[in-house]
Amino acid sequence: MSNQIAILLAVLLFPGGVFALAFGLAMKGVDRRVAARLQSRVGPPLLQPFFDIIKLGFKRTMVPAAANETVFLYTPLVGVVAMLVAAALVPITSVYAPDAAIGNLLVLLYLLMIPGIVLMIAGSASGSPYGAIGFSREMALMIAYEGPLVLIAAAVAIRTGMGMGGWATFSLNDIVAYQQAHGSFLFDPVMWPAVAAFCFFYPANVGIVPFDIPEAETEVLEGPLLEYSGPVLALFKIMSALKKVVVLGLGIALFFPAAPAGIVGGFLVWLVKMAVMMLVGITAVRLSMGRMRIDQAFVFFLKWPLLLAVASLAVVVVV
Amino acid sequence: MGLIPNFKNIATRSPWIYRINAGSCNGCDVEMATTALIPRYDIERLGCQYCGSPKHADIVLISGPLTVRVKDAVLRMYEEIPDPKVTVAVGVCPISGGIFRESYAVLAPIDQYIPIDVNVPGCPPRPQAIIAGVAKAIAIWRERL
Repeated sequence: MSNQIAILLAVLLFPGGVFALAFGLAMKGVDRRVAARLQSRVGPPLLQPFFDIIKLGFKRTMVPAAANETVFLYTPLVGVVAMLVAAALVPITSVYAPDAAIGNLLVLLYLLMIPGIVLMIAGSASGSPYGAIGFSREMALMIAYEGPLVLIAAAVAIRTGMGMGGWATFSLNDIVAYQQAHGSFLFDPVMWPAVAAFCFFYPANVGIVPFDIPEAETEVLEGPLLEYSGPVLALFKIMSALKKVVVLGLGIALFFPAAPAGIVGGFLVWLVKMAVMMLVGITAVRLSMGRMRIDQAFVFFLKWPLLLAVASLAVVVVV
Repeated sequence: MGLIPNFKNIATRSPWIYRINAGSCNGCDVEMATTALIPRYDIERLGCQYCGSPKHADIVLISGPLTVRVKDAVLRMYEEIPDPKVTVAVGVCPISGGIFRESYAVLAPIDQYIPIDVNVPGCPPRPQAIIAGVAKAIAIWRERL
């Protein structure tokens, strides 16, 4: 019973729920501010994403005549809940370890697919042609980047499992504990192809400029989000903020969980890693690149990240 | 001191802007893009953000004299913007038709069809004037929230 309460608290308060939401929105604020400074602008206040969410709460929700109302209004809720649960699965070294019943890499992989699927369903339920274009682009992009992600996860799981004398382990706690004992995978040459593949994967998954093809506002007018307004649009913003925390947290847990013992130290180190991953992998990439076409992105993912991921899996199994 | 007025004050710090070109010559549109994009006039400071979809918008900037051909499209787009919303007419064309005023193809003044809250005259108006117009629109928007 206390077990279930702990899981519930993890989903609703820390590291999921309130904390993940606040942290994700704050990261977005820092991202926008830094982006503005790099373009020598003043930029919005750091709390701007919070203001946006509150503002959206005051707006009216409009449902297009062509939309399927139930699906249109309730799919984003599914995405938010999935991301809340996912945030509770990701361990933070020496601060938080998910309950053994839920802390599983495979579960996390499935949960990470849900926001993409939610966008696809929302886009097609809105009955808008732009939503339909967004749907097909999101689907193509997901097919392209989910493959490498699964292979990366398999490489990490097998490396950990073989190190621990078995074959493969998908427990996130074990993965973190193994790296704490034997050194992080980031410094393990065998894992470098997987690290590189993950660096290609996460900008695509959080949907920033070179890979924001499904929501490109200059081509398809934000695609699946085109018809959304008011509080329901806020749910999408919340979903993407949570997703950012989950994806970056997953990267840290898989490749670089090393942190000093003790809650404060562990948490500070985690914050620094999150900041570095965000500024280098998201802000800098977003500002320095133009948007790819969907066919370019598709070929790109099937070429480099997939190749790297397959290579890493092969190397891990052989070595 | 209720919670809702506080939230309303916070909400006014996030005006999202949508541009409607009602047959403008693009002069005002260039100035509007300048207002948003050039570091010197950065309106993201005010929390503004240009959005691609009319359904995300709070403040509408309309430029152009409303030609006969775009009238239906403009009216429909205006309907798509969820309440509460504020309309800013940019340039002299929405007020009087500007240099197009005696044309058979022009329906200006635009406020016969759409309620206009703020007029920013000029051909084209300076970015500072557009920013002042947006700031006024934010004050009006605060009343409507």
